[in-house]
Amino acid sequence: MNTTMRSSILASAALLALVLGGAAQAQDAANMTFFVTSEGPGKGGDLGGLAGADAHCQKLAAAAGAGSKTWHAYLSSSTNAANPGATVNARDRIGRGPWQNAKGVVIATSVEDLHSAGNKISKESGLTEKGTVVNGVGDTPNQHDMLTGSNMDGRAMPDNVNLTCNNWTSSNFGSAIVGHVDRRGNADTIFQHHWGSSHMSRGCTQPDLVATGGNGYFYCFAVN
Amino acid sequence: MHRSVRLTTLTSMALLALGGIAQAQQQPPQAPNMTFFVTSSGPGKGAELGGLEGADAHCQKLAATVGAGAKTWRAYLSTNTNLAEPTKTVNARDRIGKGPWQNFKGDVIATSVDDLHSANNKLNQATGLTERGNKLPGVGFTPNYHDIMTGSQPDGTAFPGNMNMTCANYTSSQFGKVEVGHVDRTGLADTAQAHSWNSSHQSRDCSQEGLISTGGNGLLYCFAAQ
Repeated sequence: MNTTMRSSILASAALLALVLGGAAQAQDAANMTFFVTSEGPGKGGDLGGLAGADAHCQKLAAAAGAGSKTWHAYLSSSTNAANPGATVNARDRIGRGPWQNAKGVVIATSVEDLHSAGNKISKESGLTEKGTVVNGVGDTPNQHDMLTGSNMDGRAMPDNVNLTCNNWTSSNFGSAIVGHVDRRGNADTIFQHHWGSSHMSRGCTQPDLVATGGNGYFYCFAVN
Repeated sequence: MHRSVRLTTLTSMALLALGGIAQAQQQPPQAPNMTFFVTSSGPGKGAELGGLEGADAHCQKLAATVGAGAKTWRAYLSTNTNLAEPTKTVNARDRIGKGPWQNFKGDVIATSVDDLHSANNKLNQATGLTERGNKLPGVGFTPNYHDIMTGSQPDGTAFPGNMNMTCANYTSSQFGKVEVGHVDRTGLADTAQAHSWNSSHQSRDCSQEGLISTGGNGLLYCFAAQ
């Protein structure tokens, strides 16, 4: 075997590896059933309601090659004076799982698993649709707050509070419950370690979300 | 009697009478048997009350002005665990004594803690009187002051630690919200929470302006704990 031929085989092998690697990556993205939005709609807690939030998930998923699935945002809405009969639980709108991230890591096997201490959401696994890590505690800026409007069980808050920015239609009224995707906060409490229900945002404007360690991001799940 | 003497006497009597009126105006009506009231005014810094201690002192001060200062007064407020104050959970229902409680006019508004937190309590606009025996302007009045700060859930317990419905445990006029109840049991909708005396909705924010904007004025429920 001469040098040229050997080089050519090596090059082919390298090329094959590259192609296979690329295919694997594309396959993971196509099989992705969970991600954190790499960007928000930009109007704070005003997401255009649940429908607008779902459409945002769908759009980002499509850009990453996973648009053939039906995507829903992990958000609850609650009954209030403006929206009677609007109670929706985030846990009831995300399908049955299991769900895996952009790199094929399963973050939960079922709705129950997702809302138990056994779920695998962490800074390393809570990836965006692009497969990137979200800034958390220790990073500048910290963007670990995920909008959920939900309690620790993934259900809507009671009607005597407005922790959904008027059911995701307002950047003025109320506040939003957020979870910490990196499972870390300023204190060692069950809430600070919770992915879905850590604390309230300062308000519903984009600057308010940024002020408390977020950027208007939320979780998206494929329901089928 | 000489004319000038008679005039002097009349003048003195008039002065005496005037003095009596002035005194009556300065001295509020007394209500030594009162064991419940809504504050006629708040400390004025929104939901920043100086914590529970400051709120209790405000109740005590107002009670003293109407002759009810011998009792131990407590504000009906809950606090919750938060970042700044871990393990601060206090339930409003646990700090107001056992009842029964009666208002300025002697109307019993609840016979026990459980009664107070049941549909059977007698708290409404007619009975939810201030320490001076006045009704509060509610829905239909301008301004409407029916929002009374409680920071509590319907059963009088604190909210969970993932919420700040106490304006950082009544130490801030900036951070968080405060849960309020409707003393007139009336709101914008015909819902259980709009009719709730202690857990109707959250304030816009913690400033005095924020409290006013949602139908309040930084007022509190005060109970004699003993």
